[in-house]
Amino acid sequence: MTAPSVQDAQQASSSSSSTPQSLYEGSTQFRHWRFSPEQLAQMRSTLNQGAVSAIRDAFEADSPGSSANVSFLTAEEEHLLVKLYVGKIAQLCGHFRFPEEVEATAVSYMKRFYLKNTVMDWHPKNVMLTALFLATKTTNHPISLESYASQIPRTAPSDVLDLEFLVAQSLGFDFAVWHSHRALWGIWLDVQTLPDISIEELSRAYETALGHVRAARLTDAEFIYTPSQIALACFSLASPTLASAWARAKFPSTPHPPVLDVLEPIKALILRDGSPPNVEAVREVDRRLRLCKNPEKIPGTNAYNKKQQELERKADEKRRRKAEAARIAMEEGDPFGSVLAKKAVAADMDDDDDDD
Amino acid sequence: MAQRNSWLRGTIIRKSGPSTSTSTRTSTPQVQSTSTTIYGGGVKDPSGRTTEYFSMDDECPVCKSDRYLNPKLRLLVSACYHKMCESCIDRLFTLGPAPCPICGKILRKLAFTPQTFEDLGVEKEVAVRRRIAKEFNKRREDFPDLRSYNDYLEMVEDITFNLINDIDVPETEERIAQYRRENAALIEMNAKREEEYARYLQEQEEMERQERELRAQELRRLEEEERQEREKGKQAIIDKLETSDKDAARLVAKSRLEAQRRASARASSSSGFSNFQTSLLRSRAAQSTVIPDVPHVPLQDNWYTYDDMFKMRSTYHDPVSDAVRRDRDGIMRAGGYLVEQAWERALRFAVAGLEIMPVSENPPPAQEPMAIDNEGPADVTMAVA
Repeated sequence: MTAPSVQDAQQASSSSSSTPQSLYEGSTQFRHWRFSPEQLAQMRSTLNQGAVSAIRDAFEADSPGSSANVSFLTAEEEHLLVKLYVGKIAQLCGHFRFPEEVEATAVSYMKRFYLKNTVMDWHPKNVMLTALFLATKTTNHPISLESYASQIPRTAPSDVLDLEFLVAQSLGFDFAVWHSHRALWGIWLDVQTLPDISIEELSRAYETALGHVRAARLTDAEFIYTPSQIALACFSLASPTLASAWARAKFPSTPHPPVLDVLEPIKALILRDGSPPNVEAVREVDRRLRLCKNPEKIPGTNAYNKKQQELERKADEKRRRKAEAARIAMEEGDPFGSVLAKKAVAADMDDDDDDD
Repeated sequence: MAQRNSWLRGTIIRKSGPSTSTSTRTSTPQVQSTSTTIYGGGVKDPSGRTTEYFSMDDECPVCKSDRYLNPKLRLLVSACYHKMCESCIDRLFTLGPAPCPICGKILRKLAFTPQTFEDLGVEKEVAVRRRIAKEFNKRREDFPDLRSYNDYLEMVEDITFNLINDIDVPETEERIAQYRRENAALIEMNAKREEEYARYLQEQEEMERQERELRAQELRRLEEEERQEREKGKQAIIDKLETSDKDAARLVAKSRLEAQRRASARASSSSGFSNFQTSLLRSRAAQSTVIPDVPHVPLQDNWYTYDDMFKMRSTYHDPVSDAVRRDRDGIMRAGGYLVEQAWERALRFAVAGLEIMPVSENPPPAQEPMAIDNEGPADVTMAVA
């Protein structure tokens, strides 16, 4: 059994030693959170369809025919809602005086979370608070939960904590994020090594570019492009000549570095999607969301009670089975259980009930 | 004078040492019994490093004679693991099979073996294991998966345990017989393989030994040669100094150089041996079935990938970090914060992945399957990858 895995390991180690990957290519951001625009759209629509059919089933199970005149949200409407709350993170960070790092990380968490979950299951308002709280911890700017919750109206500490594991799990525990504002800082520093640079012009361009980086957080740019490309595109929006001069200096061997071709679509994306959504339109979406929320997630509804009962029953069954197994083991005089085969069967059963 | 005396005394003491020890040895019976040829078995160690168990307190449980009465007393072990002395065995079993005087099992004279271990339980276990190993000699390769191999090992251990502790002996024997019937061909094949491997090892050892001898010989020869050469060189220098009218110092230097050249030539010729040795070791390593333990490499990134894309300056015009750099007391730099490190990180970010093109549609998606497992809250709606 060990032989093939060892071979795999050997192959892996040999391949890695021959072509060690760069830090960015080794990051979880590159490996897990990099998509094409089409993939993003497809993921969102399949997620939305799956959620709609699941919620429709829940409605039907509660009272047949009740789902007929419910208008469920589309993937675009969901995205709009998420975007609004992504914008709210910036306001909240301004209120708490969190550094840019925290804000950018929380935004990334929020956007990644809704690539795996739907707003009809988890409302973005709560997820936003949890994502921000999680980001303060992962970026080493911790704040106590009590003081955090007390400064946000109508929020209890439990509201923030309840979702914390869910969010972390949806992120796949990939907490480290490569941010474009840091790349922009690097560009600002490195441009100073170019000849004939006026600091005034550069700092003006930097300030403008920083605004564009913040706008880029509202877009899907971070899922499609690398942070350095986004930063360079923002810089290029502020000062095209400086940006292209710097890019050419970075690739002296090629007359027209390919990165310059990537900049145009990023700029277009930022200019198109980089503004907060129309509040009126989102309010309409939010109003409809109240009607089409997953009833299994709203305390007090029949579906919620049924779901809770089912969970309770399953947990109870599992507990009983465990107690039974322990009792049998004790009767046989061996507290560690008897044969291997029996244990394997028990493990299988455990897996089964975890999956469904 | 005193020194010489003590030295003398020392030799005297040393002389008397061995003689006293031989006198004590004569009192203990080390003489081998005449019947060793009959009772072969027992110690199965061709190297002769393990010896027959022997104690001054030995006493035959049957006739109660002990080492005091009979210095040549030798206790042998029966098939039912009871000890008795050679004379008792002769007396009881010369006329054919007879019951054991202790447990009543029918025994034969030839089935007695010398004792290796003090504890007869160990003796029995070793014998049982040796017998079992002879027949249950399947290997990992003979099984389709690890699970069935483990089951087989478990069965072997069960059988061994039963035999050692006399649990269900007839039933167990039946199991062994059945196994033997079913796997006769495989058992024989494995036994042959085992034998071959043992022979191979022996051959290797022999080769190594010969090679070592050869090398030692060669070394001696070289040493001798070197010594002769040195003598010759010395003689030559003296001769030259006598006959020629050149500068003495230069002559000496020249002959030294020559000697050095010869020495280096010798060294290079002798290094060939070690090559042979290592090749031998390597072939043995290839023969062994031990799987190499590949070291685990947790981080496989190259920290230095982007190093050639930027050059740190000693300082920058940077309002963001002004406050930290101006902080004379170093309060903001507590914990080892260095502005240079922050700058370097930012520069790294600025150039990292500049050349990586976005995922295009034509090739299949490059991302790995999501690292989220299906455990935990079952109602998390997940994207279908």
